Amino acid sequence: MIISKHMKRNVVSIHATASVREAAAIFVKKHIGLLPVVDDDDKPIGIVSLKDLLSLELPDFVSFIADVDFVHDFGAVETTRPPARVLDKSVKSLVKPAITVEEEDGLLRAYALMLQHDLHDIVVISKNGRLSGIASRVDIGTAILSAWEEVD
Amino acid sequence: MNPAAATVSILIFFGSLILIFSEKINRSIVAIAGSMLMIIVGRAMNFYSEEAAIEAIDFSTLGLLLGMMILVAMLEPTGFFEYLAVLAARASRGQPIRLFFLLGSITTVLSMFLDNVTTVVLIAPVTILISEILGISPLPFLVTEALLSNTGGVATLVGDPPNVLIGSAAGLSFADFLIYSMPIVAVTWVGTLFLLRYLFRKELSRRPRNAKAVMRLNPAETLNHPKTARRILIVLCGAILFFFIHHLLHIEPFLVAMGAAATALIWVQPDINEVVKKVEWSVLIFFGALFVMVGGLEHAGVLEAIVDLMRGAASIDPVLFGVILIWVVAALSAVVDNVPITIALIPVIHGLGEAGMDVRPLWWALAFGAGFGGNGTIIGSTANIIVTNLSEKTRTPITSSLWMKRGLPVMLVACAIASILYTIIYRWF
Repeated sequence: MIISKHMKRNVVSIHATASVREAAAIFVKKHIGLLPVVDDDDKPIGIVSLKDLLSLELPDFVSFIADVDFVHDFGAVETTRPPARVLDKSVKSLVKPAITVEEEDGLLRAYALMLQHDLHDIVVISKNGRLSGIASRVDIGTAILSAWEEVD
Repeated sequence: MNPAAATVSILIFFGSLILIFSEKINRSIVAIAGSMLMIIVGRAMNFYSEEAAIEAIDFSTLGLLLGMMILVAMLEPTGFFEYLAVLAARASRGQPIRLFFLLGSITTVLSMFLDNVTTVVLIAPVTILISEILGISPLPFLVTEALLSNTGGVATLVGDPPNVLIGSAAGLSFADFLIYSMPIVAVTWVGTLFLLRYLFRKELSRRPRNAKAVMRLNPAETLNHPKTARRILIVLCGAILFFFIHHLLHIEPFLVAMGAAATALIWVQPDINEVVKKVEWSVLIFFGALFVMVGGLEHAGVLEAIVDLMRGAASIDPVLFGVILIWVVAALSAVVDNVPITIALIPVIHGLGEAGMDVRPLWWALAFGAGFGGNGTIIGSTANIIVTNLSEKTRTPITSSLWMKRGLPVMLVACAIASILYTIIYRWF
């Protein structure tokens, strides 16, 4: 079972010169969780995730505290928006290196990489390194499960 | 005294201190290497031995530190520190000035009995959370917590590592600290708090965007293990009680601390590996290794040489000498680690004593200088470095220049108050 049979081919991506604000607009419009960032040749140079964008609004301090269950109201944090200077920065300020698999790679390899790197979606590239698709944990997981139907 | 042995031991000791102060290599690594070099060279030159090195280690200081570290390591995961901060937030009803006084006071009281670093590590993140919920800058609270934890630590025998060292070297009891140090620290503390209230007047006058939200913080939910927290607190209070009377019962402070740690361990029976992981072994190793190096100096006859040198100085007016000591030690502690400074100065004060000066007040001068000096710069104490690092994750990072405008005045005022009170009450020492 290879990944290219189960991935989404219609991938939205963003060019490395775009701003954080433009990236956020694409997330909203396309309702997605991961956005590959590509260079002029459509080769992925990295990814921006929904989680990274949200960390601009819900800052790191939440991670300093072991439990937040005693916080019933985030008060002013609920209405705090990232400052304009952060939104006008290049999207490169949020880019993380992309963990990719090739079209011919197996589903279990892709799934194992996603577990290891705590990814919800994984970028698939063609042999020549171009962006070719994207697969979510649900895409890969259900594809693996579908093989169980053949078990007697 | 063997001049060659003295020279070599001084070279090893000061070489290590310079490396420690340069912060190029971790201080514990330098201290271990330096102490071993001292023993090896000492053996080769016949002035030091393994037995003498082990004898030089002040195990009562290490035991006191270890006992307190174990208690804090057990208290930390119970959520008790968060509990106090949340209570403060609710009691303040979201008013920044009230929150400032409450968090400041909690930090001071905790750091009087517990390690400053732990206090700040646990209180600062909740402070940032509370400030964010209110929609105000956490900056005044964070800076104040670091400054007041340094200040509070000066008050007691167990509040600060330099105090533990001074207490052990000078034979001072917990009660001595309460009588001689606590009143001066109390006045300094009030002065510091109101000075900071003034310096941060602009930030503290901002209206919080959402004051009501803090009332929905639930303190009960911060306590992960209420029963464990209660047990450790009972043991801790018992330990503090014993600290108050340890000199009357002829019990060493280390027995109080280790006894309390043993009681808490038996009563709670936590995962010992988790507790041991939280103990700051690098600090204990650093202390132990420094003791070995100082022992080398002693055996090489350096301390006798210091006593001879000090004979001239012994005629200086002790009040003036003490005031100078406060400022010099404070200036040094503002830029470098106050533990090695304290360890290096202890033999000097002993030397002065043997040369005929009444050194009892000088121990207090050393404690005030080492404690208050750490407030002077952004790198003056570990607590300062921790709040600065945490603040870098917020929208208002603490900068060096801000510390110059807020921390440095606090250090100057604290040293001035300490100098004045020291001069006034010197005759009672």
